[in-house]
Amino acid sequence: MKTNQFQKRLILLVGCLLISISSFAQIKVAAAANLQGIIKVLKEDFAKKTGIAIDPIIGSSGNLSTQIQNGAPFDVFLSADMNFAQKLFDGGFAQKKPVVYASGSLIICSTQNLGFENWERLLLTPAIKKIAIANPTIAPYGKAAEEALKAKGVLSEIKSKTVYGESIAQVNTYITTSVVEVGFTTQALIKDAANKTTLYYKVIDPKLYSPIQQGMVVLKHGSGNADAEKFYQYILSADAKKIFKEYGYNVD
Amino acid sequence: MELSPIWLTLKLAAITTVLLLLIGLPLAWWLSKGRSIFKIIIEAIITMPLVLPPSVLGFYLLIAFSPQHGIGKWLLQAFNIQFVFSFQGLVLASVIYSMPFMIGPIKSALQQLPQSLAQASYTLGKTERQTFIHVLLPNIKPSLLTAIVLTFAHTLGEFGVVLMIGGNIPNVTRVASIAVYDSVENMDYAVANVYSLILFSITFIMVIGVFIFNKAHAKSPLE
Repeated sequence: MKTNQFQKRLILLVGCLLISISSFAQIKVAAAANLQGIIKVLKEDFAKKTGIAIDPIIGSSGNLSTQIQNGAPFDVFLSADMNFAQKLFDGGFAQKKPVVYASGSLIICSTQNLGFENWERLLLTPAIKKIAIANPTIAPYGKAAEEALKAKGVLSEIKSKTVYGESIAQVNTYITTSVVEVGFTTQALIKDAANKTTLYYKVIDPKLYSPIQQGMVVLKHGSGNADAEKFYQYILSADAKKIFKEYGYNVD
Repeated sequence: MELSPIWLTLKLAAITTVLLLLIGLPLAWWLSKGRSIFKIIIEAIITMPLVLPPSVLGFYLLIAFSPQHGIGKWLLQAFNIQFVFSFQGLVLASVIYSMPFMIGPIKSALQQLPQSLAQASYTLGKTERQTFIHVLLPNIKPSLLTAIVLTFAHTLGEFGVVLMIGGNIPNVTRVASIAVYDSVENMDYAVANVYSLILFSITFIMVIGVFIFNKAHAKSPLE
């Protein structure tokens, strides 16, 4: 009799455990570092509309796509450019060709009011000791920053002042903690940091760098997963576009 | 492929080891003599980097040495020293981070020496300092070597703190472990492999060397 009761309890316990595990089986979304703030808003809105929970993993696009190629169990990948997403598709890691879900906008940003009208000249002054950009080989916003600096003809002159963040998220940390005087980052930081830090910024003329078209793919791991497909559709929906716009992204 | 990250790493490890030897010897000696609550606290602080995540140290260093406020601002204005995004910052972080590897082996070796050794030396009229340098130190050679090699090797392996406060600047803060991480992120596996293989070989040879030396030493009839 006693063992029977014990067995029943055990079954109940295992049952509860299984249920709790299965409820954790959310879809995993690998998101580029520039989305670290907006992804929370998208997650909430998506959950409200569909009841489906997503689990965002944030990193530089290069790092995430390396992880995906090496078997990371992610369902959807929101890259910071088309290149990494395209490479995953070419390598057979994604179902369909990447689509552009938003275009990013580059800003120069600081916690101090330095006056950015002539930002290229400002960077050369001794008041600016360190300039943060994301690592241009792995972070698309870093590449855009380098292009803009080159177009203004100051890239080589400021080389000694440049520090590299491993992703745009680290650049944001460097800017908001004031360890650098200025940094080049995503416009999304402004809305993201609105309640925490006062930031001064200027949008960099988009003509100075090639467009930061951010691409999305559903990965092999998420293929056949209806929830992953729903999230993919949601990101392209008018509701998501409205949120992207609020964060300074361009959507068509 | 550039070899500068390798040279930078070796330079960082060498400077850190020399500095820690200078700081570590007297500190380990002081810690080995007697016990007090104060000593226990100091020793705990020295040992903490063994278990503390590197990101904790990185975070505090980043905040403390931000040139906009506090200590960082003062250091920059008074001495023109900046500890974030600079080589000296990496040295400082490495000294803190590798300290237990230098102090630990030396301190326990000193404690295990028979008391009579130092007492005999004092009886013969030697000062404390003379006793330490000419009597105690020669008797803990294997532990001294272990401490030096472990400190050097551990600094080679530093990653987390450098990633947070280094800024990945070529020839200044881009050490080999960061270069490996970068190449992997960049899907440049060939380059990652070269850096990794060099680091692997250096550490392997060093650790093997210590084992061989210490074994030969322990076998000598005088030990």
